[in-house]
Amino acid sequence: MGIKQDVKLEMSALHYENLMTLSVRINDEKVEVKVPPTLSLAVILRNYFQLTGTKIACGIGRCGACSILLDDELVNACLVMAYQANGKSITTIEGLSKLSLDEVQEAFLKQGGYQCGYCTPGMIMAVKAMFDRNPHPQESDIEEALAGNLCRCTGYGGILRAVKYVMNQKHY
Amino acid sequence: MKGNIQEKEKRIRPDGVEKVTGKIKYLTDLSFPNMLVGKVLRSEYPHAKILSINTEKAKQIPGVHAVITHEDIPAMNGFGLVTPDQPVFCVDRVRYIGDAIAAVAAESLESAEEALRCIEVKYEPLEVLDSPEKALHPDAIKLHPQGNICHKASYKKGNVEEAFKQCTYIIEETYELPRQMHGFIETEGGVFVPDEDGGITVFAGTQHGFKDRFQLSRILGIPETKIRVISSPMGGSFGGKDELNIQPYGSLLALKTGRPVKIHNTRVESVRAGIKRHPMKITMKTGVDANGKLLAHKVNIVADKGAYTTLGPAVLDFAVEHAAGPYMIPNIDTEGVLVFTNNGMSGEFRGFGGNQVTFALEGQLDRLAERLQMDPIELRRKNLRKETDLGPVGQMIAPTDGASLVLEGVSKLMNTNRKQQDEQPWIFKGTGIAIGMHGGGLGKGRIDHAGGRLSLAKDGKIEISFGFEECGQGLVAVIENLTISELGCGKDDIRIVISDTDRVPISGSSTASRSTNMVWQSLKRLKEPFMKMLYEEAAELLKLPEDEMTLGVGGIWLKGRSDGPCITYEEMARKSENELSYTTNFHFPITPTPDAIPGAHFLYTFGGIKVDVEVNGLTGKVIVTSIDHVISAGPVVSPNGYVGQIEGGGVMSLGYTLLEEAKMIDGKYASENFDTYLMPNIVDVPFDTNVYAIEELAEGDEYGPRGVGEIGTIAIIPAIAKAVHDATGLWINKLPISPEELLNHMEQKGMIPWVLNKM
Repeated sequence: MGIKQDVKLEMSALHYENLMTLSVRINDEKVEVKVPPTLSLAVILRNYFQLTGTKIACGIGRCGACSILLDDELVNACLVMAYQANGKSITTIEGLSKLSLDEVQEAFLKQGGYQCGYCTPGMIMAVKAMFDRNPHPQESDIEEALAGNLCRCTGYGGILRAVKYVMNQKHY
Repeated sequence: MKGNIQEKEKRIRPDGVEKVTGKIKYLTDLSFPNMLVGKVLRSEYPHAKILSINTEKAKQIPGVHAVITHEDIPAMNGFGLVTPDQPVFCVDRVRYIGDAIAAVAAESLESAEEALRCIEVKYEPLEVLDSPEKALHPDAIKLHPQGNICHKASYKKGNVEEAFKQCTYIIEETYELPRQMHGFIETEGGVFVPDEDGGITVFAGTQHGFKDRFQLSRILGIPETKIRVISSPMGGSFGGKDELNIQPYGSLLALKTGRPVKIHNTRVESVRAGIKRHPMKITMKTGVDANGKLLAHKVNIVADKGAYTTLGPAVLDFAVEHAAGPYMIPNIDTEGVLVFTNNGMSGEFRGFGGNQVTFALEGQLDRLAERLQMDPIELRRKNLRKETDLGPVGQMIAPTDGASLVLEGVSKLMNTNRKQQDEQPWIFKGTGIAIGMHGGGLGKGRIDHAGGRLSLAKDGKIEISFGFEECGQGLVAVIENLTISELGCGKDDIRIVISDTDRVPISGSSTASRSTNMVWQSLKRLKEPFMKMLYEEAAELLKLPEDEMTLGVGGIWLKGRSDGPCITYEEMARKSENELSYTTNFHFPITPTPDAIPGAHFLYTFGGIKVDVEVNGLTGKVIVTSIDHVISAGPVVSPNGYVGQIEGGGVMSLGYTLLEEAKMIDGKYASENFDTYLMPNIVDVPFDTNVYAIEELAEGDEYGPRGVGEIGTIAIIPAIAKAVHDATGLWINKLPISPEELLNHMEQKGMIPWVLNKM
């Protein structure tokens, strides 16, 4: 992974005095980085680790494009500050597929669960978190689990078909 | 009638894997060494004189490399797709809340933001013209030298006033439609990289890379050949990134500092500066005889342009053109006016004025049907265009029976899903249908070049190149599917090259539902000459007869043989000394009618829709419980893409009908982010949606599959409004549908007795 030292667009001269050492596991890799303690985790993932699958689209936790798992809890990374993530374990979209695609990713591919793809990483993380918690979601569970993730392209049809595809594949 | 579209080939979209893994690099994800961050200072007032601009303090902020204003523009201080009347940087006056005054490039975001705060601008506020009515007042201050009318458009046929005298019933109604945000999830942005000889590479999303290059050339004062525009992938556009947005600022800052500059709008910056759907006030007076024959249709459209022109005139032309839609009305008088105001900018948006005017038109038909006590479908049927009828503004169009095909498709749906339940007496159910038509391409009188290129690259890949962009619509899947089916080669044999002005031919814009159609038409022109070129080359290399050859998976095959290609593409590319490339250029098909009004179209798609709704008598909230689309747009090229465009377009307009309004208060946005601007989420859409494609085209049609990027956004709006009427008896003439208005209505009608009991 490695930290790119030359890209720190969010860092201010003011902050150089006041850095903390953020120690986290990102996608099963232990990393440490000096950051301003209040810097948003979404910015850290994108600018310090080049994990640009996590997107920032509203910056206020209303669109879900920055959804990640923090100690297996679905969170909006734009609303988590560095100090709140310290010592925790993070899974981003990049950490979802190791040797092969995750079943949720497969389902999105086959069922047209994406178009522009910009909400897709966050949406897939939300679907993943839903199935981790509840392998047999009812319609209302699906609605609740995905209500925090906006998609402007698909109208959610392809996403719903992807969710159903995962359920059918597993013969739940 | 269930959806009928299947992924037959089971082909994964070319950009699919990198999208579901998050690996795809959008242009706003790019980083370059020594990159600076750029920020734009926007106006504090919707309308004011600028008395002075002082950037001295801002320049002193540590880490700031450039602070630029209008004084730093080498050439033209303006942009705009139709008329370049939008200043890059304002000089002495601001006309809307998104007007740019200065821009900075700095080593960090915080330094850039601090610098913006330190730019001292003295304003003298002016009266805010926050409605077309105010702007049209004779005493109103002029927003532009020519006044406050940006554009007028009209179409007249017959004599409406005489015809109204013959009418048995006349409905006159004014429909009000709001400003809608595009709501692309990726806000505008990109990276601007200067090169050593004064040129620049622009990595920023747009819907027509060559047009951006042209506009930037005028601003930067450098030739187009020194500008390279990489224009996609994009995280959505829907028309919203068609016009220049941050490109002038990024380019100017990069050239000024000699370093790469990244600008990525925050949502709030995007909302303030970006274009929106035109708010329109549409008055329609429509008359019908006792048998239900439409006789006269008088339409007046007033559209709120905001401060600058961009593509507004074309949107108004489109609305005027579609004012009578698929109905044959002998007397029509349509007038539209586009008015400059100090509101947020309006511009190009999926549906392009057709959404607004079709809501009004279908509303008229439904109201007339009620007056006639006639089935709304029967009323439509009586007045519908036939296959070879002229188009909506009397122009010759490609023959199509799409209107009646989608209407009959919808009528079959009407008997299904009709369920009433009594368990929840506060829930009122309703069903609505509507149809609409939508022109593709830019239309009469507009330069609308198309083209593409097929080449055998040096590495043996068949390169298919277009000057189009991938906004998310799935164009890459369309290109892949059509190339494979036309050439007969394999998926791994081809490489798609798009959205790079240094590498692609002129194809025109990725707008106006035109790209799919233009890819198909290009391939029809490219296929034979390119194949012939390859066969001749192979014949020469192998000393075999070319008429026995055929393109196949992996290379050129001999007809009747199944043991593999006689020469692989890779081998051919390696051995050949000739450039094996063929380019086509042509114009989008236009109506041959010489005096057709500007923008009149030749190719149309048709959409019909049925929706079911539930209106909650306790909250006034409307829930759409099912959506069925019937689309006539020719063959389905990319099944998942087709369904996605129609469903997604439908839900975008569901939002427009029920939730979305980018309201302005005194020229400022009341909602600047998704906490208060509510777009549909998964809870707002039905689990039950079907898309039924009618793939047959008129006999002899030679224009191929039409684009479906917009048609799904049209008819759903009036269909939901009619379903709400069906449920409650309230005619809707203002969007988004107001729960308060519904509650008041239901209360007055005694539909929610428990409210009355309390009183």
